[in-house]
Amino acid sequence: MKTITFDQKKTSSIALEFDELITDNIYAWTEADFAEYKVPVGNSRFPITDYFDITVEGEAESPAEVKMILNGDCGRVKYIGCKMSAGEVVVNGNADLHVGAEMSGGVVTVFGDVEAHAGREMSGGKLEIMGNTKEYCGASYIGEWRGMTGGEIIVHGNAGKQCGECLTGGKIRVKGDCDILAGIHMTKGTIEIDGNVNRWPGGQMKNGNIIIHGKVGRLLEGFVEQGIVENPVADGIEYPGKYIEYKGDIALKGKGTLLIDAEKNRDRLSTWIEYDDEYNAVRTYQKQ
Amino acid sequence: MEYILKNGIVYDPANEVNGEKMDVCFKDGKIVESVSGDAKVLDVTDKIVMPAGVDPHAHVAGPKLVVGRLYRPEDERRGVAQKTKVTRPEAGFSIPSCPTTGYRYSRMGYGTVCEAAMPPLEAKHTHEEINTIPNIDINPLPLFGNNWFVMEYARENRIDDLAAFIAAFLRISKGYGVKIVNPCGSEAWGWGMNVHGYDDKAPYFDVTSREVVRALAKANEKLGLPHSIHIHPNDLGHPGNVPTTIATLDSIKDIAKSTNKAASVRDQTVHCTHLQFHSYTGNSWKDAASGAEEVADFVNKNKYITCDVGQVTFDETTTMTADAPMEYDLFKISGLKWANKDIECETAAGIIPCIYSPKAPVSTLQWAIGLELFLHIDNPWQVCLTTDHPNAGPFIRYPKIISWLMSADKRMSMIDNGEVHKWASKRTGLGSIDREYDFYDIATISRAAPAKIHGFQDRGALTPGYNADIAVYDINPNDFDASKNPEAVEAAFSNAYYTIKDGQVVVKEGDIVATKQSHTIWTNVIGYEEEEKQIIDSIMPFFTQYYSVKWENYQVHDHYVPNPVRVDVEAK
Repeated sequence: MKTITFDQKKTSSIALEFDELITDNIYAWTEADFAEYKVPVGNSRFPITDYFDITVEGEAESPAEVKMILNGDCGRVKYIGCKMSAGEVVVNGNADLHVGAEMSGGVVTVFGDVEAHAGREMSGGKLEIMGNTKEYCGASYIGEWRGMTGGEIIVHGNAGKQCGECLTGGKIRVKGDCDILAGIHMTKGTIEIDGNVNRWPGGQMKNGNIIIHGKVGRLLEGFVEQGIVENPVADGIEYPGKYIEYKGDIALKGKGTLLIDAEKNRDRLSTWIEYDDEYNAVRTYQKQ
Repeated sequence: MEYILKNGIVYDPANEVNGEKMDVCFKDGKIVESVSGDAKVLDVTDKIVMPAGVDPHAHVAGPKLVVGRLYRPEDERRGVAQKTKVTRPEAGFSIPSCPTTGYRYSRMGYGTVCEAAMPPLEAKHTHEEINTIPNIDINPLPLFGNNWFVMEYARENRIDDLAAFIAAFLRISKGYGVKIVNPCGSEAWGWGMNVHGYDDKAPYFDVTSREVVRALAKANEKLGLPHSIHIHPNDLGHPGNVPTTIATLDSIKDIAKSTNKAASVRDQTVHCTHLQFHSYTGNSWKDAASGAEEVADFVNKNKYITCDVGQVTFDETTTMTADAPMEYDLFKISGLKWANKDIECETAAGIIPCIYSPKAPVSTLQWAIGLELFLHIDNPWQVCLTTDHPNAGPFIRYPKIISWLMSADKRMSMIDNGEVHKWASKRTGLGSIDREYDFYDIATISRAAPAKIHGFQDRGALTPGYNADIAVYDINPNDFDASKNPEAVEAAFSNAYYTIKDGQVVVKEGDIVATKQSHTIWTNVIGYEEEEKQIIDSIMPFFTQYYSVKWENYQVHDHYVPNPVRVDVEAK
C-alpha cells in the first residue's frame, strides 16, 4: 500500500488541474518524480512542489494500492480523481470542479464542499462529499444523453441544480436539499433525496426512481398520481413509510417512478395545484 | 527544392504502375521525371508509395457543420489533443474542428477533399471555413437540385438558360460542379412534405425530380464541366428505394458526354453518391434487405455511371445533409435531438446524431450493403471510397474500411463470431463474397478514380507535371499478406509514413510536421459571359424581392478565396 500526501503550501487564484495526478498515472511515482512534475495552471505549468509538500510512503504495483491524501483548501484544484479507475483519494478540505468526474472505480472522499460537476458521467466507484455540492452532480456533460452510468454518489449536504441529469445507472443519495430539475432526462438508476426539493424533479425522465423524503415544490404536469403506497421497494431497496407514487414523465411516454413522502406533502393529495404560490401567481397573471 | 523518394513500391493506377519498385522525384511542388544529384533523398525502401488520397465526397466545411458543432458539444469532447509546436489543439470526432479536419486527412495521406454540399447563399461562410482547414485542397460543390431558378428552367426545358445560370453561380459561389440533393424533395420540405419516387412533383413548381436531374445533366454536359452531375437521389435511406435509384441513373443514359477538353478526363455523365443509402429493398425496415447486387449490376452494365459508397463504420456519428425531410424521418426513428436549417429559395438541411451499432439490425444491414457494393462493382474505377463523412461514419475510418475490403477472413469472422447482427448474413449476400481488394485496387478507389471522376488534371497520379501530392505507407507489400493482417493494414493507412503536399513533407511517421494553407478549387466557365449577364438581369427582380440579402453581399468576392486553383473551362 502506498500513501501519497499533498500538504498545501499555498493556494492559487487560478485553478490547478489535477487530471494527470490520478492514481492510474502516479501509482509508481516517487518523491523525485513529483519534484520534476509541473502541474497545469491556466495556460501554463508550474512545479507541483510550489503548491504542495509531497510525501510518498510505501510501494504500489497498481492504482488500487494507492491512497492520495490532499490536506488544505483545494477549492482551486480541479479534476481531483477525474477518470480514475482504482485506489482512494481523500481531500481534507474543499475541492473545485469535476471531482470524480468520469471515474470508473475507486473511492473519492471530500471532507468539505465541492464545486459543480462532481461525479459527472462516472461509471463506477464511490464519491462521498461531506459538505455541499453545486450544479450537475452525477450529470451528463453538456450535449450527452448519458450521465452517470454506475457507482454511487453520497452528498451529506445540499446539491445544486440538475443533480443526476440523464442518469443512466448507479445511485445518488443527497442527504440535504436539492435544487430544481433533479433527475431530469434520467433513464435508469436511483436518486434518493432526504431533504426538500425545489421544483420539477424528474422532468422528462423515461425510467428509474426518484425518492424524496422531504417537501417537494412544484411538480411537472407530466407526472400522474398513482396513489399512496406503503413501504415501497425501488431497485431492491425498501423505503419504510407512506409515499405518494407518481409515474412519468408522460410528456416523453416515460415510465419513471417518483416517490414523495406522503406526510410532508399531504396538501398535494387534495388539490395539487393550490400549494404552489408561484405557480398560482403566474396563472393569475396570465388570466389577467 | 528537389526531392527523390528512393526505392518505394509504387502504386499509381492512373499510369498503370502496379507495385513496381521505383523512385519518385519532385521539384518545386511538382512531380518530375528526374532530379539532380543534389536532391534530398527520402529513403522509402520497401514502403508503399501512392498519390495522395482524393476524397470525392465529404462534408467538411459549411453551415451544417457549424450547426452540428453547436448542438453536439459532446462530440467536441472526443478526439481532443493538445496543441504542438506545429498544430493547433484538436477537438471533435464526427465533426472535428476545421484545423483538426486537415490534420486528420493529412495523417491518412490525403491531399484533396470534395466538400459535397455548399448552398450558394452560404458560400461565403463555407469558404471561410475552407480557409482554416490546412493541408488539403478542397473543391466545393454548390447545391442546385432544389434551387427555385433551376426548377423553373427545368420545367420549361430552358437548357441554355440553365447552363448560363450554372456558369454564373459557379463563379458567384466559387464552386466546382453541380450537386443535386433529393431533387424537389428539399423544396417540398418547406411545405412539410417530401417527394417519393423519381416522378413526384415539387409543390407549386409543377416540375418532377426527373426533369430537374435531366436538365441539370444536359446543362452540365453543354458547359463541359470537369465533373459530371453529382447526385444524391430521392428516397435516401428508405427501404425499397432501389427502383428510384435505378430510375435516376437510367434517366441519364441518353445524355451524351461533352467533348469539351475539361470534361475529357472523366468517363461518366453521372456520379451517384453514397450509393449504399440508396440500395435497399423491401417495404419497411421489417422486411428490408440488400439491393446491392441489383444496383451494382446496373452500374457494371453502364459505364456512364460512377459512384461512391458511403460505407457505415459502426460509430456514433452526426448525420447532416441537405435532404432535410430524410433527416426528419431519421429523427422520428431515433428519437435523438434534431436540428433543421432552411436556406431560402435554395435548399434545406437537417442534422441529427446517429449511432451505428454492430448489434443493431439496420446498422448492420447498411454496413453489409456498403461492402457488397464495393465487392460487386467489378471496375474499381467506377466506385470510390467514402463514408459520406460524417453521415455513415467519420473519414478517419477509411483505413478500417480498407482493411475490410482487403480481408475476406476479417469480414467473415465479424459475421461468424456474432460481432455484427445476424441480418448481415440473413439479408445480404456479403457472407458469400470472397473477393479481396489488393493495394492497386485500394489506390484506385481512394486516389486515381476520385481524381478522374472529378476531372482533376493535376492530382491523383504521379504523372510528371502533376502536383507533388504523395503518400507513403510503412508496409512492404511483397512481404505482407493484407488478408491475414487487417489490423496492420488499418494501422499503416491511419498513420502515413510520409504525406507530401505540394512538394512539402507535412506528415512524418504519423505526426504532423508542417502545415500548409489549403487551396480552393473552383470552375471558371469561359465563353458564357453575355448569357450569364442576361440571366442575372432576368433573375434580379425575383432575387431583390425574395432574398433577404443584397446581390452585392451574396457574391463570394475574391478575398474569400485567397488560394484559388481556378479551373478554366472553354464552354464555347
